Amino acid sequence: MAKSLMIVDDSATMRKIIMRTIRMSGLEFDRTEEAGNGVEALEKLNAAPVDIMLCDINMPEMSGTEVVRKVRELSSCSETKIIMVSTESSQDVMDSVMADGANGFIAKPFTPEKFQEKLSPYMN
Amino acid sequence: MIDEICFSAALLEGAKEVFETMIFMDLEEPSEPDEQIEGDSFLGSITFTNSIEGCLAIRCSVPCAKNIAANMLGIDTPEEVNEEEVCDALGEVTNMVMGSVKSRIQTETGELLVSIPTVIHGQNLASSLGNRMSKVFVKVDAGDEEIIEFSFLYREGDK
Ligand SMILES: [Mg+2]
Repeated sequence: MAKSLMIVDDSATMRKIIMRTIRMSGLEFDRTEEAGNGVEALEKLNAAPVDIMLCDINMPEMSGTEVVRKVRELSSCSETKIIMVSTESSQDVMDSVMADGANGFIAKPFTPEKFQEKLSPYMN
Repeated sequence: MIDEICFSAALLEGAKEVFETMIFMDLEEPSEPDEQIEGDSFLGSITFTNSIEGCLAIRCSVPCAKNIAANMLGIDTPEEVNEEEVCDALGEVTNMVMGSVKSRIQTETGELLVSIPTVIHGQNLASSLGNRMSKVFVKVDAGDEEIIEFSFLYREGDK
């Protein structure tokens, strides 16, 4: 089944790296969106929900944890899988963002294999 | 208080991990330890607080910063990378090296709260946070006769 993806990260460089790493992992999406902050992400999700959202945590204005809480308030995104992609490695932060509704976590720096491992369960 | 050797190893290992996996650059011990960064440079820095507080900084020459950004962006011509792209890329490198170092020292320092990175461009740049700071400094060779400096300034924090 065709899948859609959104990458939310304040760094344009990081969004490109994530895109390239996903291509290298062999995963294919029929639609990919990008957002440079939480507000943009929510606007785009309101217009068209996605199957998988990759979300940074350390972002100015709206943190990734807040984005997760807001996305979970959108009924149209109840099926969206949210994977955090962050340098944040503390168990406390991970536990709380998972409790808020995230589905998984990929640490930066990452490899194509990591994306393959974490995303493939949601690709069918 | 954690000793400096522990921080210096964590800084070097953390930097190597980020550069190898995300920037496709191998960092080596500098062949000439006295070599300095000439002319304008870029400095990326990020602050942290909790049991210890301070800042981690990365400094390199303009051509080296452009190489880093070009590698991250998958661009073959580093000279075409603009200043905004360099700042964005270097900020993300700083963020990742901090994350990588943090995960290596976490058992000793406990949780560290990290800021958003900032990047500046100019001459004779150095990070300073006033008195009573311990400083760990690591210099590496990034190929093409380029060196990169990593520094970690810290003191005991409030917690
Ligand atoms: Mg970020």
